[in-house]
Amino acid sequence: MTAEQFTAVTVEPFGDSAVMVTVPHPDPVIRRTAVVAFRERFLAQRPPGVLDVVSGLESLLVEFDPLETALPHVEYAVRLLAERLPLHERLQARTALRFDIPVVFDEETGPDLLSVAEEVGLAPAEVVEAIAESTFTISLLGAAMAPMMDGLSVPRPVRRRAEPRTDVAPGAIMIAGTNAIIQPFPGPTGWRVVGRTPHTIVDISRAEPVSFGTGDIVRFVPVTRDEAAALDAGFLLPVSEVSA
Amino acid sequence: MRTVGLDITRTGWVTTFQDLGRRDTERRGVPTGGAADQHSAAMANILVGNPRDATLIENLGGEPAFVPDADVLVAVTGGPCRVTVGGAPADSWSPVVVPAGTEIRVRADMDLGARNYIAVSGVLAAKTLLGSAAPDPRMGFTQTLETRVLLESGFRGFGHSHFAPPLFRLPVPVLRCPQGPWVIDVVESYGARSIPGVRELIARSPYTVTTRSNHVGLRLDGPVLHPDTETEIVSHGVPIGALQIPHADELIVLGRYRSLTAGYPIVGVASRASLPLLGQAGPGRELRFRWVDRETSVRRYAERERALRVLERATAEAFGALGFAGHLISH
Repeated sequence: MTAEQFTAVTVEPFGDSAVMVTVPHPDPVIRRTAVVAFRERFLAQRPPGVLDVVSGLESLLVEFDPLETALPHVEYAVRLLAERLPLHERLQARTALRFDIPVVFDEETGPDLLSVAEEVGLAPAEVVEAIAESTFTISLLGAAMAPMMDGLSVPRPVRRRAEPRTDVAPGAIMIAGTNAIIQPFPGPTGWRVVGRTPHTIVDISRAEPVSFGTGDIVRFVPVTRDEAAALDAGFLLPVSEVSA
Repeated sequence: MRTVGLDITRTGWVTTFQDLGRRDTERRGVPTGGAADQHSAAMANILVGNPRDATLIENLGGEPAFVPDADVLVAVTGGPCRVTVGGAPADSWSPVVVPAGTEIRVRADMDLGARNYIAVSGVLAAKTLLGSAAPDPRMGFTQTLETRVLLESGFRGFGHSHFAPPLFRLPVPVLRCPQGPWVIDVVESYGARSIPGVRELIARSPYTVTTRSNHVGLRLDGPVLHPDTETEIVSHGVPIGALQIPHADELIVLGRYRSLTAGYPIVGVASRASLPLLGQAGPGRELRFRWVDRETSVRRYAERERALRVLERATAEAFGALGFAGHLISH
């Protein structure tokens, strides 16, 4: 990749106490990577009065307390922190963890496996192989802490379902585009359901309900139904730290 | 401190533990959540000498009631309601002593406001998720009340007869829930510029809260306009109170449990000072929107915050004079 840098971000005020930060660039991949780099840098240097940030695909919403700080201050801090923002800055606040997640891929756990295979021009077993050979990186935690990851290697990006499914089981492995996500709780989804892990992804009885974070590395390991049952899988834990 | 049991003799339609919400969890996929009407929730806690963000009870509809097994200090805020202690009327928006073995009931007037907040002086024993007692239904964290709730309380009573004149005359900034349409202040955002005429349309039209509303958002019946272009909006985070126009002909005001937009235009964001009223708006309520600039919006919020601080100080002084320190916080 290039050492291209940004000198400017767009800061759009949103209501009386938030701004949305985006990186203007014609390439969506660069827009997305740059905004993640900006988020990490912004959180590491969090300006006073900032309450929380919400990650979008190509944006960062910064929410602040308008009595503790003010719009011009927040905007100034954002621009200052965005200066000379490198495209591929690795600003790891934590050590990346590595997960090997056992997954059952069959007709029952992966009802969209066949249609995905047809769409990308592979056999279902080859789709499973492609997923197993992909190395995923967790790019953000989606709704209800669902790990959303990047890195699916298939002949072409996978479309979403035209009609969303209404009740997908927890542990479902779902794909769309070149992304994968794991369903933490029963609920609806427009993603394509291709398998299921026996592990508990999010456990709300724990003080820390998940063991993963952004930047962590995930591999999916195909297992049979019997192997999954024999695993006695509980709360999902990492296998190791990723050596730098 | 001692442990007091509250026997929950009735619950309302939806009665849960609640607080002001989670901090710093949005970027991990968990909405802040918390009391829909943050003003009333903070007020209820202040009125019993608790920190603003202490765990309390939020109720929607019906007539919740409980009986404490020791004297407790309670305050009920939120929408207009009828409070009784042992059958005798008591004030809302005021500290009220509920003697041991006596029932306090809160009957909501759903036509005027959807939610009531019941704070009890002390620490309610409630589960937490990521540091907050606020429910998160999406994560299966429902926070409904058991038949008996435990409280750690330092309250020992004021030695004041129930029939004597009221103990307190506090400068209480009561949330006004008037009859007729409620006026919500809104600050314009980018979507208004991409839809010509929408600003004027929203300013002059009435909108009605429908029954499809929930903690994710209020869905409003009323006229809307859609953008001409098919430009795709990449899904992004949105502030609480964002006015979103989906593909259908309705207006959605997003609440504290919103997630990213599905790529719909956001025409404005309700002023922070208007959010408590939105948290009280139930089905059938007519809303009118008034565009305000950002400075006006922040000023109104600052005025409300000042009123809360004045009350915090007054309550601390009144309780102090009565020999009850509560958990009072210094500001």
